[in-house]
Amino acid sequence: MGSGLASGLAVGALMASQNLLASHGTYGWAVFALYAAVVGELLGVFVGRRPSGLAVSAAGGLLLGLLGWTVWWLTLSPWLRGTSPTWSVEAATAVYPELVGSLLQGTLAGMLFHVAARRLPGRPANPEKPAPRVVIVGGGFGGVSAARRFERLNLRGHRIDVTLISDSNYLLFTPMLAEVASGGLEERHISSPVRAAASHTRFRHGRVAGVDVARRRVVLESGGEAVGYEHLVLAVGSVPHFPELPGVAEHALTLKSLADAVRLRDRVLALLERADQEADPAERRRLLTFVVAGGGFAGTESVAELYDLTHDVLHFYPAIDPDEPRFVLVHTEERILPELSDRLGDYALTKLRARGIEFRLGARATAATGRSVRLDSGEVIETATFVWTAGNRSNPLLRILPGESGRRGSVVVDRTLRAFELDRVWAIGDCAQIPAEDGALYPPTAQHATREGKAVADNIAAVLGGQRPHPFRFRTIGTFVALGHRTAAGEIRGRPFSGLVAWLLWRGIYLAKLPGVERRVRVLLDWVLDAAFPRDIVVTGPPADAPAPLPGQGAR
Amino acid sequence: MTAEAVREPVREPVFPGRGAPAGAFAGAAGGLVWGAAMLSLGTLPDVAVLAGSSAPWLGFVLNMAIAVTVGAGFGLLAAHQRIRSSELLFWGLAYGVFWWFLGTLTLLPLLSGTPMTWSLDAAQAAVPSLLGHLYYGAVTAVGFALLQRDGGSVARDHLRPRTLLRGLLAAVIVGGLLVLAFGAGAGARLGWLPAVAVCMGVGYPLLFTGRAEGTGPAIVRGTAYGFLWWVVAGLTLTPLLDDGGLDWSQPAVADAATRLPPYLLAGAGIAAVFGWLGSLARALFVDDVRLRNRAIGTRGLRVVGYGALSGLVGGILFGLVWGAVDVLTTVAKLVGAGGDVAGWIVHLLIAQGIGVSYALLFRGRGYDLVSGVGWGLSYGFFWWVFGGLTLMPAVLDVPLWWTAPTIAADFASLIGHLAYGGALGAVHAWLEHRENPWWLARSDLEAARATARREQVLGSAPALWILTALIALTIPVMVAGT
Repeated sequence: MGSGLASGLAVGALMASQNLLASHGTYGWAVFALYAAVVGELLGVFVGRRPSGLAVSAAGGLLLGLLGWTVWWLTLSPWLRGTSPTWSVEAATAVYPELVGSLLQGTLAGMLFHVAARRLPGRPANPEKPAPRVVIVGGGFGGVSAARRFERLNLRGHRIDVTLISDSNYLLFTPMLAEVASGGLEERHISSPVRAAASHTRFRHGRVAGVDVARRRVVLESGGEAVGYEHLVLAVGSVPHFPELPGVAEHALTLKSLADAVRLRDRVLALLERADQEADPAERRRLLTFVVAGGGFAGTESVAELYDLTHDVLHFYPAIDPDEPRFVLVHTEERILPELSDRLGDYALTKLRARGIEFRLGARATAATGRSVRLDSGEVIETATFVWTAGNRSNPLLRILPGESGRRGSVVVDRTLRAFELDRVWAIGDCAQIPAEDGALYPPTAQHATREGKAVADNIAAVLGGQRPHPFRFRTIGTFVALGHRTAAGEIRGRPFSGLVAWLLWRGIYLAKLPGVERRVRVLLDWVLDAAFPRDIVVTGPPADAPAPLPGQGAR
Repeated sequence: MTAEAVREPVREPVFPGRGAPAGAFAGAAGGLVWGAAMLSLGTLPDVAVLAGSSAPWLGFVLNMAIAVTVGAGFGLLAAHQRIRSSELLFWGLAYGVFWWFLGTLTLLPLLSGTPMTWSLDAAQAAVPSLLGHLYYGAVTAVGFALLQRDGGSVARDHLRPRTLLRGLLAAVIVGGLLVLAFGAGAGARLGWLPAVAVCMGVGYPLLFTGRAEGTGPAIVRGTAYGFLWWVVAGLTLTPLLDDGGLDWSQPAVADAATRLPPYLLAGAGIAAVFGWLGSLARALFVDDVRLRNRAIGTRGLRVVGYGALSGLVGGILFGLVWGAVDVLTTVAKLVGAGGDVAGWIVHLLIAQGIGVSYALLFRGRGYDLVSGVGWGLSYGFFWWVFGGLTLMPAVLDVPLWWTAPTIAADFASLIGHLAYGGALGAVHAWLEHRENPWWLARSDLEAARATARREQVLGSAPALWILTALIALTIPVMVAGT
């Protein structure tokens, strides 16, 4: 305000001395000084904290003078006198002296402001303390959401130095992973670079080897580099969990990463290539049998997408009869999709059964070899493809943390997402056991992880600001499961949807949830192309097994 | 995330130690031109009054002394601001106009003992001086640029045949479009503009760098460039050729104001097309990906939303002005409707459309409220010329509002457009900063890059904003009372 007032007094006095403010009464100069003080008050906001030179500040002052003349002298002044502003040339002519005065005053104020602003930074004797550092481990939904929230908080005046460490440099949109496995989507189209998603956050691409809670530092695997923190957010997600079942860990495929999805697709296509040349009926049956363990979202979507993939490309393999491929889903409970209502679970079961997919409900896979899967009922299913989606556990990194472990090795946190017994450690997403208001645990879904990321950033900012963190509260909006071709099931706020409507909702909602327009357009194009052209059967990975010799051909 | 991009990178000044002397020398060149004009206009005795005399020779001497002093000030300013040679012209023009307000309207009467009125009458009487100050500023700036270490190389850089050809092609395209729309020849609305446009096209790359700058800033630069050519061709060369002498009196300027809108449109068009042709050439013929322009700022559909929201805020402000002067019913007629409600709807839809175009054309160029408002005001002024004075009457099927009386009658619309542009730019800058805080950098290197880009983007921009604002404010000086 000082620069505005000083310039206002100078220009006001000049105008008063020349009798240019007579129309504003005896104290016209005071009116002008008041106007100039208001302009000066706005100048700091207008020119900003980072003026880039005297001329730019003067330009800012001049523009502000123009705006001030328009608002004050051309609009408010006549209005305060009881006449309607007309903004006509005649009205502008009447206050032309004020225009020249406003321009000169604004320019002078801008120059004075610049001089004052340049002197101000030299005044404080104590240099700024470095911003508190927050380290986020994990680049999934939770980690990236937290990083983005921190960026927003920094815009609001917080000073938090955030580093995100992740062993993958992309955010994977897991709800569409099964479609990558079926070849419906290109693998990179459902992933977004962390550097783009959180563009103002320091990013470290690397694997964390350990966490030293006592010394508050994270140790990276490469070179043993230590990254210090004041607060640590663990968002490391989960990994597939194979119970102590013989052969399962060695022979089962999983569906947790892009590499898993690509490997599964390549394997299915390679097996079709082999089956097309296989003369032995038993071997053909084994090659064309696909077993999925787990009747949750991942398992159900996997078996449905494998079914679609196989039947969509069968016309390329004339030696395979469409009745030959066999799909089996093994689930420990009597109904699939426990995350959904009974009605929707039954709907999904009926739909998939109608396509010929076999179900072994109330059964458990107990062992696996490279050629078969054994169930606890004693049944042995000869197969070359066994997909395991029947269990997850927290990231092995968490094993080294002291303190109490929760379900499947997760970090136990309170309702504010702060870990028990671990100072300045917070956990979110699949790797955390988060109690809800009613004592139940929040489910490990993407929509929860995203909200938890925001909440943990807010809470850490609150703690850094000396305030109390708030409990995390979130009510599930809805869940959908794709059941293959033009069919899905799901619910929004308890309202069930199924069939084509659910499928359209599934696609629309998840398309909107994809990070960035570019990814949405690419996925949309994939879907359009998938509807117009047959699926690609190019296999770039290694063959599933050694190629079988054609009949009549010996080994060369 | 905490490295502040405001840290000034260590950089050698463009012309160390040569600010004031070079400025004084360039100011002398500007003073010669202005003195010659005053000789032609017979106004040298007005300056001699400062020494209590009316002798023209004394007026000329005093004029030269003032020109040298003011030129030295320009040199200091340019050196302090580290303005690149190729961006000095608009700084010179803005500096000249500012000195018209400060020198002619303020200091001259004060020092000569005559009343300082700052009235419109006084301003209209000083219109010849305004034009003289423009010439003085332009010549001083060009002279100062040529005296710099990089001045020669910059000039040679601008003389590349391909760039000149691009300018010529842009002029042919824009001139052709103007002729198709309005007709050519001395008797038509455009006068000799189609022929002048060729000079404008060739001159554009000569005066400015061929560096890609985006369509939005190009339109603002081109509008100011068009104003310069209106002064040169419309107000100087035409009377010199027709009458053998200068006539910069207010009535003559008001008469020539009829050609001001097409000159402004031609300038904006040439600058925009020149930029597009450059982008096309780069896309087709440049194989070095380092030379590709990466879009900075808000991206995706959000840019459309931000533009629509900013346009809505500006549109409401503008609508209040138009509502008060009963123009909204005329706006409704654009779609064949009637009434204030229809007028509001049409007006707000147009405001949002222009807001979206602003967001697309100026994204990543609002570094603070000053730059946001600066670009917005300038864009608002362009839309007053293009939309208010040209498109609106054309759609309403009435004669274009290009004459001095219609321009004067449309002054409320000018104020509305400036208010719209200012609000649009300010809100958009605020929205964009929420998402893309350029000053937050993850490393010192990134901070230095951000600062360098800011300096590059804002090179001559403040001068353009000042010049555009001052052009807008001299409109009543030029057309009032006609």
